[in-house]
Amino acid sequence: METKHEPEKFIVSIGPQHPALKEPGHFEFTVDGEVVTNATARLGFVHRGMEKGTEARNYVQDLYLMERVCGICSHVHAMAFALGAEKLAGVQAPPRAQAIRELVAELERIHSHLLWLGVAAHEGGFDTLFMFSWRDRETVMDLLELISGNRVNYSANVLGGVKIDINDTQRDALHKGMDFLEERTHHYMKVVTEDETFLGRTRNIGLMTKAQAQLLGAVGPTARASGVKFDVRVDSPYAGYADFPVKLITEPAGDLEARFVVRINELYESYRLVREIIDHLPEGELSVRMPRRIPEGETISRVEAPRGELLYFMRSNGTDSPDRVKVRTPSLCNWASVLTLAVGHKLADMPMILAGIDPCFSCNDRMVTVNRGSNAENWSWEDLRKYGIAYYK
Amino acid sequence: MAKKIAKTPEELLQIGKEALQTWILSENTPETNRLDVVIDAKEIKNCVRALIELKWGYLSAITALDRPEYVIVEGSTQKTVVPDKGIVELLYHFCNHAAIITLRVSLPYANTSIDSICEVIPSATLYEREASELLGVEFIGTPSTERLLLPDDWPVNVYPLRKSFTGLDNKNKNEEK
Repeated sequence: METKHEPEKFIVSIGPQHPALKEPGHFEFTVDGEVVTNATARLGFVHRGMEKGTEARNYVQDLYLMERVCGICSHVHAMAFALGAEKLAGVQAPPRAQAIRELVAELERIHSHLLWLGVAAHEGGFDTLFMFSWRDRETVMDLLELISGNRVNYSANVLGGVKIDINDTQRDALHKGMDFLEERTHHYMKVVTEDETFLGRTRNIGLMTKAQAQLLGAVGPTARASGVKFDVRVDSPYAGYADFPVKLITEPAGDLEARFVVRINELYESYRLVREIIDHLPEGELSVRMPRRIPEGETISRVEAPRGELLYFMRSNGTDSPDRVKVRTPSLCNWASVLTLAVGHKLADMPMILAGIDPCFSCNDRMVTVNRGSNAENWSWEDLRKYGIAYYK
Repeated sequence: MAKKIAKTPEELLQIGKEALQTWILSENTPETNRLDVVIDAKEIKNCVRALIELKWGYLSAITALDRPEYVIVEGSTQKTVVPDKGIVELLYHFCNHAAIITLRVSLPYANTSIDSICEVIPSATLYEREASELLGVEFIGTPSTERLLLPDDWPVNVYPLRKSFTGLDNKNKNEEK
C-alpha cells in the first residue's frame, strides 16, 4: 500500500542568546526530514558600535577599545590597530617589540586552537577530549599571565612598541610549557586521525572543495583545510614574521577531519616559533616615541588571527582621533561557507559543522525551536547536541 | 610539469590593473603592494566580474566611508556637518596574497544607490547589509535587506556611522513607538 504525501518541512531556529560563551548569533535551518535545505543567519546581538566609538576617542584610548573587540583573540586586534596607526604616523616599532608581538600572537593562537579543540570535541560528544584539552590549555593561559599579568586582554601593545619584556625565569617557564604541550599534542593528533568513533563524526563531513572555499571567501584554517594556500603571516609578513617566518600548513581533504589536522599542525608550528623567538630575541628598546596627532592618510593593516585574516582599514585626518576605523573579522568571511555547507547535511551534523569553522560566536546554546507543523517543539542547543550524539550511536 | 613561479605583488597588481583598464578613472598607490582605482559607480559589477573571472584574489571587505562637507562655526574653531552635502565612499578591497586592489566609488548623498555585486560574489551580502544599515547605502538587487546588525527597534533612516549621527535622542526613540 502506498500513500502519497508531501515531505514534511520545518524550520529549526538556533540562538541567539547564550550565557556561557560570547558573541551571540541567530540561525535558522530549514530542514526536509533529516536533511538541511536552507540556512540563514542574523548577527549583531553584540553590536557595540565600536567603529563609531573610535572616532570619539584618541588613538591611545582606541588601542584599549580595539583590544576588546574579541575576548579570545584580543592581542591580534590591538596589534593590527597599533601596526596601522604606526604606518600612518610613519613610525616603526623596534625589532625586539616586533618579536614580542609575534610571541604573544603565537601564544594566543595556541590557547585559541586548544580552546577550539575542546569546544569541537564537546559538540561531538567527546567530553574526555574536551576536558583534557582545556586542562592543557591552562598551561598556556598561565604562561600568558606570567608574561603579561593577564589571562585575557594581555594588553601587550602600546603605540610604537610593546610594554612587556621577557626575562630568564619567563623564558624557562615558556620552554617547559611548550615541551609539555608538544607532548600532549602528539596524543591529540593520534585521537583525531586514528580514533574510529571520532572519525565517524569528522571524515567526509562538511566537505568544502578548494574552489568553493575560494568562491565563498573562506579564510584561515577553514580555507587551509581545503588546500587554499593563504596565510597572511606567510604572504605579507608583519610584526616579527619576517625575522621569524612561519611554515604554511594546508590539507587537501576539505572535510572536518582536515580542519582538525590543520589546526593541530599549526599548534606544532606555534610551539616551534615560541621557542625560536625566546631563544633569539633581538636586543634593544621595547618602544619608540609615537606622535599624538597623526597626519592625514589611509592604510590597510592585515594580520592572521587564529581564525584567519583580520583586516583593519584606517583613515586618519591630522588630529589625535581616527576619521574611520573599519574592522573585518575572519569569522564574518567564514559565515558564508558554513551557511552553504550546511545545505544537504543532516541536522545531527550541524553542531560539528558549525564548530568546525571555529566561529567566534558560540552563541547558539540557549534555545532551538523545532516547528513541526502545528506541533512546535522547543529544544535547547544541548538537546540538539545530544540528538546528534544519539543519532550516531 | 614546470613548477609555477609565484608572482611578485607588483606583477599581481599589474595584471589586476590591466583587467580593469577600461573603467579606471584615476589611480593611486597609497602604500607598497596596494593600488587604489577610482571607478564610476555604474561600472562596479563589471569591475568585480573582471577580477573574479581572472581569479584575482578575493573580496576581503567593503569599507564604507562617510565624507560630509564641513563648515566652521563663526566665532569658534568648531566644525559642523553641512546636511545634504557630501558623499558616501565605498571601498571594495580585493586581496591577492600581499597585493591589495581597492575599487573606490563615490555616491552623493542625493543618490546613495549602487548595483549589488551578490550576483558575482554571493557572500558579499553580509558586507552590503552592513553598509546599508550603518551608512544608508542602497544596494540594488541585493538578496536580503533584513536587519543584520542594528536592533529591531532602531528608527528608520538613521545611520549610525554617518558623521552627522551623534546619538539617538528621545524624539527618534518615540517616533518608533
